[in-house]
Amino acid sequence: MDERSIGHFEFPILGRAYFLGGRASTSVKKALREAGVDDDTVQRVAVACYEAEMNVVLHARSGYVSVDVYPSRVDVAISDHGPGIADVTKAMTPGWSSASDEARALGFGAGMGLPNIKQQSDLMSLESEPGQGVVLRLTFYRGGGNGAGS
Amino acid sequence: MTLARAIEIVKADTIVAPPNGQVELSGCFAADLMSDVLAFARSGALLITGLTSDQTVRTAMIKHLPAVLIIEGKDVGVEMVEAAREQEIAVFRTPLSKFEACGLLMQAGLRAARRSGAYPA
Repeated sequence: MDERSIGHFEFPILGRAYFLGGRASTSVKKALREAGVDDDTVQRVAVACYEAEMNVVLHARSGYVSVDVYPSRVDVAISDHGPGIADVTKAMTPGWSSASDEARALGFGAGMGLPNIKQQSDLMSLESEPGQGVVLRLTFYRGGGNGAGS
Repeated sequence: MTLARAIEIVKADTIVAPPNGQVELSGCFAADLMSDVLAFARSGALLITGLTSDQTVRTAMIKHLPAVLIIEGKDVGVEMVEAAREQEIAVFRTPLSKFEACGLLMQAGLRAARRSGAYPA
């Protein structure tokens, strides 16, 4: 039987609002800490969320991050309304990027976002609908995860 | 090494003071790409960077990095200062280049706070 969620929260992400980029992820981090999730898991979720949030800020019109805490795992979904990802395989290649100079000026857009997210999470799935948007689903096992957060 | 000692070595100005007084650094990580910081920095490190944006402070917060050292005497905008106060991240500024700042700190015994591994292929 699947576990019941013991905590749920959502935060909006505004596309092109560069100066707000990272706000949703810092809120996720605080909420997970308050929910008593271990440091390594909090760190991995926060890093993955931050990269995903910057993808939304840099490429999409709007989006949101939704987090569910379970006794043994944390599930995260980041959904956006935007152009989608034309070639997911290319986007997963370290160093490949379609980001603007503006993105690069913020220290992002180096083509490391999705590879970084993959490294931090235990399960990752990416659904892209060209012209509609992207849904990124991530699972992080609490404690005894992949250790990427330490 | 304490944060105070590191700041003294690189002759840095304090832009936002550390909220919790004395801080012991786990080491140091230097990068301008925030994705590299997110992927590889270890918590507790001093972040040396040339990137003066809110993103620098939020990245430090996400990675548990207590302090940011801005190089080349760059201007630090009010947005970054406000974000640093909000997230309780200390910010300093040195007139030195990144290479010089890193070199002096390593010579004084501060070590790389870098996670092992590489980006997944």
